[in-house]
Amino acid sequence: MKKLMTFLFLSCYKATELIEKNFHFKLSYLEKIQLRMHKMMCNACTQYEKQSLILEKGISKMDNKAPNIDIVALKIRISSKLHSFN
Amino acid sequence: MIHPMENEILENWVEQFTDELFKWAYYKTSSLETAKDLVQDTFLVAAEKMHTFKGDSSPKTWLFSILNHKIIDFYRKKSKKPIAMENNIISTFFDKDGSWRQDGSPKNWHDEEQHLLDNSEFKEVLKRCLDSLPEKWNTCVKLKYLTQKSGEEICQELKITPSNFWQIVHRAKLQLRDCIENNWFKN
Repeated sequence: MKKLMTFLFLSCYKATELIEKNFHFKLSYLEKIQLRMHKMMCNACTQYEKQSLILEKGISKMDNKAPNIDIVALKIRISSKLHSFN
Repeated sequence: MIHPMENEILENWVEQFTDELFKWAYYKTSSLETAKDLVQDTFLVAAEKMHTFKGDSSPKTWLFSILNHKIIDFYRKKSKKPIAMENNIISTFFDKDGSWRQDGSPKNWHDEEQHLLDNSEFKEVLKRCLDSLPEKWNTCVKLKYLTQKSGEEICQELKITPSNFWQIVHRAKLQLRDCIENNWFKN
């Protein structure tokens, strides 16, 4: 019985794995149904999915603008490397 | 051996394009030293391959394509580094049946999504938590957004299987979520 339950409804471990898979890949039909059934009964995983989505959005909007560096120093460094390469 | 003419051209390119190349490399790697090294390597490769540059594309396009290869190489090397404790992570959050442990399960954040994503302090915590992840995990989580590529393409570039990829992302996200909860919501 327990085996059948886990097959139908997944463990939380598997369910959260599918939630992450879903961000990057297409889920199979069975996986979609399993995940939906699991979330219907599991508050924690429903919560997890919401929060995980917030994190995805946060990461996608992350500001990766380069800080100001001494670009002249970098140019000099590269030029001298090129000379030694010569 | 570089021809003196070529050398002069290269010097010009260093002068002209270093700034932009550096910004791009930083955007892709979030690391100052890595970005500097990658730009330097780009010019070294350019010097080596100068004779193959036919001017079909602009020098800028050519240099950027070299840099992009360097960036992928950099991530590929990183993703090969093995990391310890891969499985411990799972048992911090789930018991052996795969159910949430009481202290590992997600708490209610009681906060509006938009509110969080507009909050600069929250973004700072998110960045710190991301930086605290093992490098390989950090890479896998960020690559999708940095490269705008699909899961399949990322796996090809990193030379890992899809299931390996989402398992890494899964572990990374479990830890990331937990880090945010501890550093943001408990204060």
